[in-house]
Parts: sequence; structure tokens; C-alpha cells
Amino acid sequence: MDDFERELTRMMHDSRAPTPFGPGHRARLYEGIRVRRRSRVLWRAGGSALAVAGLSIGLALLPGTGSRSQPADRPAPPATAPTPSAEPTSVPSTSLPPTSTFPGTTAPGSGGTPSSSPSDTPGVSTSATASPPVSTEPPTAPPTTEPDPSTSYTTGG
Amino acid sequence: MERFRADGFDEFVAARWSTLLHVARLLTGGDRQRAEDLVQEALVKLWFAWPKVAEQAPEAYVRQVLVRMAARSARRRWWGERPVGELPDRPEPGDVSAAVAERSRLEAALALLPPRQRAAVVLRYCEDLPEGQVAQALGCPVGTARSHASRGVARLRQLLSDSVRPVG
Repeated sequence: MDDFERELTRMMHDSRAPTPFGPGHRARLYEGIRVRRRSRVLWRAGGSALAVAGLSIGLALLPGTGSRSQPADRPAPPATAPTPSAEPTSVPSTSLPPTSTFPGTTAPGSGGTPSSSPSDTPGVSTSATASPPVSTEPPTAPPTTEPDPSTSYTTGG
Repeated sequence: MERFRADGFDEFVAARWSTLLHVARLLTGGDRQRAEDLVQEALVKLWFAWPKVAEQAPEAYVRQVLVRMAARSARRRWWGERPVGELPDRPEPGDVSAAVAERSRLEAALALLPPRQRAAVVLRYCEDLPEGQVAQALGCPVGTARSHASRGVARLRQLLSDSVRPVG
């Protein structure tokens, strides 16, 4: 530290004028604290309101997208399986493929008959069983084993 | 809660007010109003940080806030701080006391320094801080703080020697 730096230090120390911390300073300081606290509370409230608004918007949008996709994504309810009334209708359809033992339907390409297509066989089989009361009987019903050619052709054609 | 929070704050402010105001006045180049504003703002910040820093180093905290706020306020355009070629209020002998004249001369010379150099000089030679603490208050490496201080002193040496040179 040279002479100038020592002189600079002395000048800085000597230039200090004692200034008491008066009541006016104190009142001004606490007024500043009050204002700052109020602004901080306001900022915090604004931030909280923004956060709540953003969250509610997000929550409002999320279920909307979920409900739109729900009917398409959800598979068809298995309504026919557990009900006992649907059982008889399904039984003839599964038992009827033996109707294919009929000569006209076993050879779809060769016979050239219009009712020999696979898509038509369910209709044929249901018509072959004639009526639902008959189909409520167990699958061992004889009509399925003895198909009537005339009825099958008339219904299929 | 409020009383607990401000416990010791009033005592600290009352004990350090004069010193803080003096440092702020040197940091602002002698602008008393701006110095009071800076001290007030720094103490408001200190009040909110008081529960954290009361047991550690509240003076270092408020000094750091003061230095950074002084540098920031000096960068603002509306303070109208412009470097001039000649010291604005050169003391004239006889009309003011010697102490006030010397202080005015020092503050006028400090006002011509860049804010970082001014802060480094004030902290080093007024607060008698070691270079490490000056660097901490400025938020820069020690070498940078040392460079600021040495350049500021060199500039002050030139300004103060010019100001005391008799007008021929």
C-alpha cells in the first residue's frame, strides 16, 4: 500500500458522517417492508391462481379426450354369452354345420347351387331348424340330422 | 411470529445504519438520496432474509445486496450519470469546511469511476475488506476484483491529483 492508497483510506474513513437511525427512517423502512410483503403476497396469489387455472384446464381436457376414445376402444359387451335365452339360438348354429353333409351343400364349387355359399349356410341352417321352439330342444334333435332338401333350397334361393 | 421474525433486526439496523449509508453514498458517488434509497431497499431485502442470515453474516449479505443494487442502478439510464472531463463540484477554499470539501472531492472523483471499479475501491479501502470478500461481494473471481480495485485506484490517483493541482 503506497502513500496514495493510505491517503485514500484516510479520506474514506474521515468522510464518514454519523447519521442516526431516526424514527423517520424507521417508519420509511417498515413502510417499504409492508409494501414489499403485500406485493409478494399478490404475486404468490397470482401464481397460485394461475397454477389452479392451468391444472383445472388440464383436468378438463384430459377426461374429454378419454370419453371420446372410450366408445371406440371399448369392445362390445358380451351380452349373449351369460344369458340363458341366447343359448338355444347359438346351439343350433353350432350344431348345424352337420347339415353340410347334405350333398348339395358339401360341394359349393361343383354343384353350382346358389345356396351353397358359406355365408348363406347360417340362414339355411336356421331356416332348416324351422322354428325357435324346436331349437330350444337339445342339440340332439333329429331334424338337424335329417335335412329337408326342399326347404333348404327354397329358403336359400 | 412477526416479532420473532424481526428479533434483532432493529438493533442491527440501528447499529449499522450510519456505516451502510456512508458506503452507499460512496457507491453512488455522493448522491445522498439515491444512497438512502439503496440502503432502504437492501434493508427491506435483508428483513425478508433475516431468519436465514441473522445467525450467520447479515452485514455481508446486506453489503452484497447494496453493491449489486448500486451497480444495477448505475446502469439505468435515468440516473443520468455521465462521465465528464472535469470534476463537477470542485471545492473552493473558504466557503466550506475542509472535511466537507475533501468528502465532496472524493465523492466527485468516485462518481467518475465505472460502478464495478468504484465498488471494488470502496469495499477495499473504506470497508477494509480483504480481496476475497471484495470478490464475493462483487460476485466475480479474486483476480477480477483485484484488477477492478487497482484500475480504480489508478484512475482516482489521476483524478484527485488533477483536482488538487493549482489552476495556473
